[in-house]
Parts: sequence; structure tokens; C-alpha cells
Amino acid sequence: MPFVVHLSDAQKAYPEYRFVAALTPSEQKAAFHVRDAAGQDLCLKIISPIYDPQRLTREVQALQAIKHPNVAGFREYTFSSSPTCQRHHIVEEFISGQDLTAHLLPGQPWQRPKAHSFFASLCDGLDVLGINAIVHRDLKPSNIRVRADGSPVIIDLGLARHLTQADITNTSDGARIGTPLYFAPEQFQGTKHDIDHRTDLFAVGVMLYQSLVGEHPFWDGKSRASLSDRVCRSNDHLAAPGFMSLPDQWRLLTSKLLEKERVNRPRSASQVATILRKIGGV
Amino acid sequence: MRRGAWHQFGDRSQKLALEQLQNGIGVGVILSPRDLSYDNAKKYAAQYHALGAELVIDQQFYVPSFSNKNLESYPTSQYRVAASCLHQLTDAQLANLSRGLQEINKGVAANAIIAPAVVYEAGRPDIVALNAKLFSAARSVGDTLGVPTLATVVLGNSVTAADQTVQTALSQATALNADGWYFAFEFSSERVPAMRDRVLRCCVAGLALACTAKPVLHAFAGPMGLLSFGFGATGAGIGHSQNLWHFSRSRWGPSDGQGGGGDAPARFFSAALWGTIVHPDETAQLPQGVRNQVLTPSPYVSPWNRWQANKHLVHVICTTLSGVAAQANARVCAQSAVSILTQARTLHTAVAASGVALCDGTNTYQQNWLSAVGDLLTQRADEFAFLELL
Repeated sequence: MPFVVHLSDAQKAYPEYRFVAALTPSEQKAAFHVRDAAGQDLCLKIISPIYDPQRLTREVQALQAIKHPNVAGFREYTFSSSPTCQRHHIVEEFISGQDLTAHLLPGQPWQRPKAHSFFASLCDGLDVLGINAIVHRDLKPSNIRVRADGSPVIIDLGLARHLTQADITNTSDGARIGTPLYFAPEQFQGTKHDIDHRTDLFAVGVMLYQSLVGEHPFWDGKSRASLSDRVCRSNDHLAAPGFMSLPDQWRLLTSKLLEKERVNRPRSASQVATILRKIGGV
Repeated sequence: MRRGAWHQFGDRSQKLALEQLQNGIGVGVILSPRDLSYDNAKKYAAQYHALGAELVIDQQFYVPSFSNKNLESYPTSQYRVAASCLHQLTDAQLANLSRGLQEINKGVAANAIIAPAVVYEAGRPDIVALNAKLFSAARSVGDTLGVPTLATVVLGNSVTAADQTVQTALSQATALNADGWYFAFEFSSERVPAMRDRVLRCCVAGLALACTAKPVLHAFAGPMGLLSFGFGATGAGIGHSQNLWHFSRSRWGPSDGQGGGGDAPARFFSAALWGTIVHPDETAQLPQGVRNQVLTPSPYVSPWNRWQANKHLVHVICTTLSGVAAQANARVCAQSAVSILTQARTLHTAVAASGVALCDGTNTYQQNWLSAVGDLLTQRADEFAFLELL
């Protein structure tokens, strides 16, 4: 269930900001487009009370070190409590534009130069997380904003890191399927110790496949169980005509990102970015 | 990490390695604390460095409770305890282990830190956790000394028995933030690994590690070092003793006696056969033309005795590997190995046709290796292509 805070309640709790609009909430936070006194657009996220503030504080310290054009800029984290008021929130850079969901449309594959440029930049951002020992663990189109110039920005980073494996896999099947569409095999069947940077790279692989082929590599519209089975065991996606028609190097990189075993995936986002730049937009 | 053959230390190896390096043979040395006291390690390390060799020291926690007089001379000796005790190391003890590792690696001026690790076993997350803990101790040393830290990835028999267990273990091991891999694969007790499926599995595992774009030092490679560069390794550990020709935990177990093979005649390692032949007894039985092909020249063929035979073996393997390693990429290295093994098969056929049955049975593995490398090249074409993209 998403953590929902009504816009009017949020405005009352944070009078120093002007609330422009509510953004899509997640289970961990209610997000808003706000404007500060200087007129700067920001993203304010009110943290759900189920979060352990100490754990979040540690994570935030890591996030503060990250400054990269492909990662949403972190501005402020506040946890304060008084008899009359409790404030627990994060303020991030506001990225105007749409999220990647709006760009990954069924049956509408991208031109390869666009895919090359977009995913190389996305991997640049992801690599900075890796260098800072942060695994996103919930990388998906709705967590990637697309700027007006077409470049990607990773948002919501870090919070997913606190999810226990049980939390991650509790999402139910059918129409409510959300994050599992970008789950790696180890998220369906492993333990939290099996999740590392290569888990995020699997999600990159799913999105890259979607962009190049115009369809999801594993989702057949049936159920979460079917999705899990295909992610963990099937290689049917490699035989799809749209995939088969790609140039060799694109097929190779995409199939490596979608390997079932982590060891067979690229080692780092930096490696993927380097390969994409070698391949170019051909 | 320098590319080519590395002298893998065994018992009484220090002078052999020195002599080979003086002759330009080999690019590095892997010290073995089991076989060399700490003082001697430092003394010889300086000489190896002076000859331009790179140097690492294998901490050898494979059978962690094993110790001997040499091992006791190192500042980490107190941690030579059962794996169950290593699991319980406190942060303070881990920091102390790290200090010991730093002293050793600084003492020998190691070019990279080899992290201590126990042998990976199937279905043992506790070992994965322990190796991560030991790696963290080594990583801090590497960072302090400003040299790369290699994670030790030694796959035990329970892992190497099946493809899936190998993959799982490698996924776990490669989660470590390592700058490279010190890799070994446990085979059964045969003299030279001969089982086709296991050899292929070893090559696939090595190739997977190489695809991380980090250097792979194939430890305990021996004659199988011919295949190492074909699966993307940067270096292959070569030693004269048979117990260095594949990873075997028996090296870190109780001694079973004097060993040494009694008065058996010296074996001659023939590059053309890619194996040994008893010389002069067996070679004398060969027709002149075949004998000429079999007898690979080296500076150590005369006077012929067992110690010369050891030097000859290391010389021939290292020289051949140097040629293979100079190829453009892993795929071409694998093709070179195929070419050498194909010629070896032809020569073994000629030896058999002359009526000589090799008493050591050293004509048994070449065909299996050929088959394994052939399958590696076809079944893992994507990995080779990926390596070429990196």
C-alpha cells in the first residue's frame, strides 16, 4: 500500500514550502513537487513512520556524497519530533519532465542512437551509486526521470536498500504487479545477501530490452508466478524476432545484462557504459 | 598484474625460481608460506624483485587449521585455526589479522594482496560469509599499501561437481569488491586433470571471472596452464612438483611420508607431447624421427637428472605459455592451445604406433582437453565476444 499524505495536510506540516502537486507515492514515502521561498522547485518526500530513522540516517549520509547529473541531487534530510509536531522528510532536486514509463511504450522500440545515449548516461549515474556502495534494488522506469534534453536521472535511490527481502517479494500478482517486473532472479528466489550491484544491472537489462524491442522480455500478462518462472528459467526472450534482428553487439550486451546468474552479468555499471560507448549508436 | 607464467612455489622452489628468472623465464612469483619461512620469504623476495619479477604471497588458509614450522614463522600464525574459530573472529582480531597481513605483504613488497580464504563448498553460506570477512581484512591492507587486492576463489570438489554449483559459488565470490581473482579449481587426485567435463567446467569458471574485466591469476595451473590464457587468465601458476599441477588440499594435510618417487627415472616434459615421458628409458625406444620431435630442447637437458628434469619442465611450460599469452585475446589463446594439443595428439599417436606404451599414461588427457577447449570456444562464444568488447 502506498504511503499517502493529503496535499493539504502536507502543506500544513511544511508551511515553508508551497506545495505545487502531489507526485506518485510509494510504500515508503509520499512525494510532492514543492517550491521553496526562493522559488526553487524541489521534491519533498515525507517518510513513512514504519522506517527506522537510524538506518535511514546512515543511508542518507552516503547519499549526501553523491553529486552527479544522472542522479537526483540530495538536499536535506530531517527527522525532528516535538510534542506537537513530527517531521521526517527528504528534500531532493526536482526533475521536471516525465518518468521513463512514459517513454517505454509497447510496440514502439527506440532508435539505437537514443538507446545508446540514454542507457550509457543511466549507467554513469548507476556507477556513482556503485562506487558509494549503494544498491538501488528498486530500479524501474518510474524511478527514472527523463529530463527535457532526454537524459535520465535516477530518483528514489537508497530507500529501497532498507527493504528486507520479505518486503521486496510481498508484492502480489496480477494487475498490482509493479516492481517485480524489474526483479532479477535473485530477488525472486535468493536471500538479501544475494543482492548486489548486478541486481540493478538486471533491471537495466530489462529496460534496455524494452527500449530496443518494444516489449518486456519476461512479462506475458499472466501472473507474478509466471513472471517469476520466466525471469528465473526462461530464455524465450532471446528468440523474439525484435531481439533477433538487433546487431550482434546489442544482443550480446542485452543478453549479458539479463543473465540468470550474477557472475555472468557485467561486473559494474561503468563496464556497461564503456561497452555502450564502444558500440556507439549503430 | 604482469601477463604470463608465474612461478608457483612448492617445496625447495626458491632457487629454481631464481635461476629461471635470471634466464628471463616467468614474469612473477607466488610465494608459499607453507614452504618458506618468513625470513627466507623476505630474503628471496628482494632477489626476485631485483630481477624484475612481480610477487604475491598466497596466505593458504585452504585448510585453515594446518600449520608447520614455516607457517609458524609468519605474524598471522595465530589465525591458523579451524574454520569454525575463524567464523568467530571479533572486529579486534580481524584488525589484528589485517595488521599481520600488512606486515607480511609489506615485508615481501607484494605487488598485490592475495586475500586469505577457505575453499568454497556447495551450499555453505557460512563459508561465503567467512571469506567476505577475511577479504575485508585483506582489502584494507591493499588500500593502505596502495596495491590491488585479489580475492581468493578456490572452488572445492563439492562445488566443481556440477555446473550450477560452480555458477552459484562464482556469483557469491564475485560479489566481493576485488581488484582481481586468485583462482583455483579442485580436481580429483589424478596426476594431471583429465576428466573432460571438469576441465571444461574449470575453463568456463575462469572465463566467467575474466569477464569481470579484472585480472585472473590461475593458481596451481601446472601443465594445464596451457589452457589458462584461453579462458582469459592473465597469469598461470607453474611449479615443478606434481602436487602443484592442480589444487589439492592434501598439500595442507598431514604428510604421508618422504615421497619423492624413490629411484624412478626422471621424467622429461615434452612440449610436443604436452606431457611427460620417462627419459631416457622410453625415449630410447622411439624411432629417431619421433624421438627428435619428442625431445624439446632446453638449457637443462644435460646432465640429465631429476632436479634438471624439474628445471626443464618449468622452463618448457613457461616458455610455451609465454608464447600463448602473447596472443591478441583469449579466443586466439584458446585456438593456440587447440593447435598445440592437436599436434600433441598426432605425436602421441606416432609414439603409440611405434609400440611404446607410456608407463605414466600421460597420453590420456590431451584429447579431453582438446574436446573441452573446443566446446569452450563454441558454447561460450558470447563470453569471448564479450571479453573482446571490454
